[in-house]
Amino acid sequence: MLCENCNENPATFHVVEITDGKKHEVHLCEDCAQNKNIGVPQSLSLNEILTSLMEAHTEKEASELSGVSCPTCGMTYAEFKRSGRLGCPQDYAVFRKGLEPFLERIHGATQHQGKVPRSAGPESALTAELLRLRRDLDSAIESEQYEDAAQIRDRIRELREGQ
Amino acid sequence: MDLNKLARHAGEWLRGSGTDADIVVASRIRLARNVNDVPFVSRCTPDQKNDLAHTLSDVIIDIGIGRDGHYFSLEDLGEIDRLLLVERHLISRDHAEADGARGVAFDQHEKISVMVNEEDHLRLQAFRSGFHVEETWATIDELDNQVAERVDYAFSQELGFLAACPTNVGTGMRASVMLHLPALGLTKQIEQVVHAVQKMGLTVRGLYGEGTQASGSLYQVSNQVTLGKAEAEIVQNLASTVPTIVSMERNARQVLMEHQRERLEDKVWRSFGVLRSARAISSEETIDHLSQMRLGVNLGLLETLDMGTVNQLFILTLPAHLQKIEGRRLEPKQRDIFRASFIREALGES
Repeated sequence: MLCENCNENPATFHVVEITDGKKHEVHLCEDCAQNKNIGVPQSLSLNEILTSLMEAHTEKEASELSGVSCPTCGMTYAEFKRSGRLGCPQDYAVFRKGLEPFLERIHGATQHQGKVPRSAGPESALTAELLRLRRDLDSAIESEQYEDAAQIRDRIRELREGQ
Repeated sequence: MDLNKLARHAGEWLRGSGTDADIVVASRIRLARNVNDVPFVSRCTPDQKNDLAHTLSDVIIDIGIGRDGHYFSLEDLGEIDRLLLVERHLISRDHAEADGARGVAFDQHEKISVMVNEEDHLRLQAFRSGFHVEETWATIDELDNQVAERVDYAFSQELGFLAACPTNVGTGMRASVMLHLPALGLTKQIEQVVHAVQKMGLTVRGLYGEGTQASGSLYQVSNQVTLGKAEAEIVQNLASTVPTIVSMERNARQVLMEHQRERLEDKVWRSFGVLRSARAISSEETIDHLSQMRLGVNLGLLETLDMGTVNQLFILTLPAHLQKIEGRRLEPKQRDIFRASFIREALGES
């Protein structure tokens, strides 16, 4: 049997769809099935499940948080509910009220019990500094301040080699 | 590091050694980590992603993971190369298909991989052949400590490591084992086992495709929650549940050997026959026959083969691996033909 979609390759995926009680069979090849996201585990479905779970458990909090957005990343609560993903670490504090019942549902807990990172050593300040310098470098290049950019690049090199 | 060479043999975690390796193919632990004061990846500007990719890859290379050229910027890799890394479990499918500055570093034995700018800024992973969850934890814990000296992690006393998805907050840890459970499938017990395991706070899913009757009888068992339990507790829960599953699979194998040995031998040898004779074969069919052969090798029914060879074939016969080995893009039909001839060669038959 050939794939119904491309009519080229043998159909290896056989899908039975039932709509309004009517059975409909679809036969596709590996490539077409993959393009239609059949037979491939999808992280999207998890997302959808999460989103609908959140809808159900955070209705009350949602109205209170509807006008709130994160001052750091600009994420709104509605956006978070749509995507199931947060925008930045601060969002956990900003949307805390809406998140707590949700965390309680999925984890059965709201207090971390595990590892505490070894207080970040002096080298972490260096990484932060390097990240900051990279940002400066981007904006120097963008505004065509090439002399500044060259200096920043040298500074990055110095810091990395000094490690 | 040459990805073409990589395609010719699987990573060390598939060599088929270690405790209970006949059933527990491999152990894996991943940690989700983010840099403090920087938006999560989905909310980063292209420049921010670039800065993170540069800075974090430098950190990882300095620690020694990506040395010898094992850091790859995914933007610089073609589609087949990225898929190759997915097939080797070094990166996720989402990471392969995303856009923007992102990468992966791994050691030459592929026991450790670090994804940069996946859903979280860092995803640290450790792999091991066989049932070694505790040792895998020790490896990844140590790497995590080394990174923490250089990177200020997003962390709160209350919620632990802050991750882009609230399902990962806390330890950020997913500990899993890959199990080969063909006899539980043949004796129709797999669904009960899956239900029971889920009651222990663990998730079970098929390695290939969803659903309980996974193709190739390969399953992944992992912890469900990441908040409210310490890492050691999560590891312990997995480590104490897995031996029960292993002994149930062993019992089912024994029952099959005692009562249905002919049927079992027939299945195993038919699979061997198909794989060493086929002239064109799809990856689904290959996975099913390899699974039967793997069972045959473990029960001593196929003495000419070793488990490492069979394990390797699961990976090397996937689409990107075949195309890398052949050195060109192959359409599905050509792939099936090349797959069949590659397997025949590996099994020492024409």
